[in-house]
Amino acid sequence: MIKILGACVTLGACATIGFTWAGVYEKRPRQLIYLGQGLQLLETEILYGATPLPEAMEQVAANCSPEIAGLFSCTAAELRKMEGVTAGEAWDRALAKFSVKTALAQKDLQILRRFGVSLGASDREDQAKHLKVALSQIKLAAAEAEAAAKKNATVYKYLGILGGLLLVLILY
Amino acid sequence: MADGAAVQSKNCIKDRDTMVCMISRDILPVLPNRIREIIVELPGDTLNQIEEIRLRQGKPLIVGLTREDALVTPLGQVTTVPEFGYMVTDQDMKRTVQLISGSSIYAFEEELKNGFITIRGGHRVGIAGKVVVDRAKVKTVKYITGLNIRVAREVTGAADRVLPYLIDPVSGEFCHTLIISPPRCGKTTLLRDIIRQVSTGIPKLEFGGCPVGVVDERSEIAGCYHGIPQKDVGIRTDVLDGCPKAEGMMMLIRAMGPRIIAADEIGRQEDAAALEEALNAGIKVLTTAHGAGREEISQRPVLRYIMEQGIFEKLIILGRSRGVGTIEDIIDCRADKSLL
Repeated sequence: MIKILGACVTLGACATIGFTWAGVYEKRPRQLIYLGQGLQLLETEILYGATPLPEAMEQVAANCSPEIAGLFSCTAAELRKMEGVTAGEAWDRALAKFSVKTALAQKDLQILRRFGVSLGASDREDQAKHLKVALSQIKLAAAEAEAAAKKNATVYKYLGILGGLLLVLILY
Repeated sequence: MADGAAVQSKNCIKDRDTMVCMISRDILPVLPNRIREIIVELPGDTLNQIEEIRLRQGKPLIVGLTREDALVTPLGQVTTVPEFGYMVTDQDMKRTVQLISGSSIYAFEEELKNGFITIRGGHRVGIAGKVVVDRAKVKTVKYITGLNIRVAREVTGAADRVLPYLIDPVSGEFCHTLIISPPRCGKTTLLRDIIRQVSTGIPKLEFGGCPVGVVDERSEIAGCYHGIPQKDVGIRTDVLDGCPKAEGMMMLIRAMGPRIIAADEIGRQEDAAALEEALNAGIKVLTTAHGAGREEISQRPVLRYIMEQGIFEKLIILGRSRGVGTIEDIIDCRADKSLL
């Protein structure tokens, strides 16, 4: 009886590990898609609303997925402090905090970092261009992440379950 | 910015240092940290006199004072030697532009076309640089290399001396008034204080206060920031911020029901038409014109036309013979005589 219980626990644990790993892979494309949506919201605020950046950032944070809202709300908070930081610097600071707890890869963060340089520093036309570039890069990254996730997530899920089974068989 | 915060808290308590307080509250936040530290180090009496702060790329930092201007060293001392002055860098300029616009230059395209941005507190920042023109019209200003931060003063009580002359003793109504003044003589300050007092009411003159509509084309009168007046313009005042004068007057007449319409610096053809429209609607008009006196403004076609129509009942003539905002004369147009 205890043996069966132990086997179940082992199998469960291994499966969980597998699914967690898979989850990390699935998180990245999801977050990238959310980010794309967030940037699109920001585009609307900047191009059509001509909303000042702190407000625009707060608007985006309120309307996008909570998983990535921190990036936008943190930028807004940095700007609101009026400590003499530019939008680019505020974005960088927010990004530094955000990068710790995100599933995004370094190259994804690099896209965001590059985008920050021009943030708020030019007229509408120019902002539109930079937003477009960042959006298309995010979309590409999302597609790539999606493909990687499909491949890897399944692998890790199977690996977890099968590894668990194997362990059970060996120990039984 | 511990220094700045200390200066702020220390000075905001004392009423006589409101100027310093205003600078640390409104002006310092739009300056890069390096320049903030320099301004904070300036001697107290210099700080109190600041009327403008000028930033020009590659040139020394200059503060405009009541009488003259002064170059400022990197340590916050006043100097006359250009070489000792703090040289404003390219980075300083870029950063200031971002801070002034709240990092949202795209939101200020209209303002850039007009050559200035109004910041919190109603202070105006003038802009110079490379102008981009599209179809013979200014599109935007790129490469901003010159900034002039003009500290807007608010002098409550500036209108105390003139107000008794502007209210008709018989009907108790406000008179159609034109303020004539050369630039920088306190024209807008006087206009703002008249608006504030007639809007809130003047108990001393038994004037109850009435709705005032302000067309603030250049955001100077009410100093609006996000549409909210930063200056005290009275409790019954509606402001159309950044609105062309003639159109604005019509908008106010249509639905806001003002008893008095105020606007700054009339002089264009359509302004005259809008003034006549206001008159026909039975609304009193309060406005200003650039000029040294009655004769000088009569040389300008539109103003001459307005004067010939006999629209205005009272003229106030400002000058600086005894300092900024000296009231040189008040003329009763109907009787054609001086009231002073």
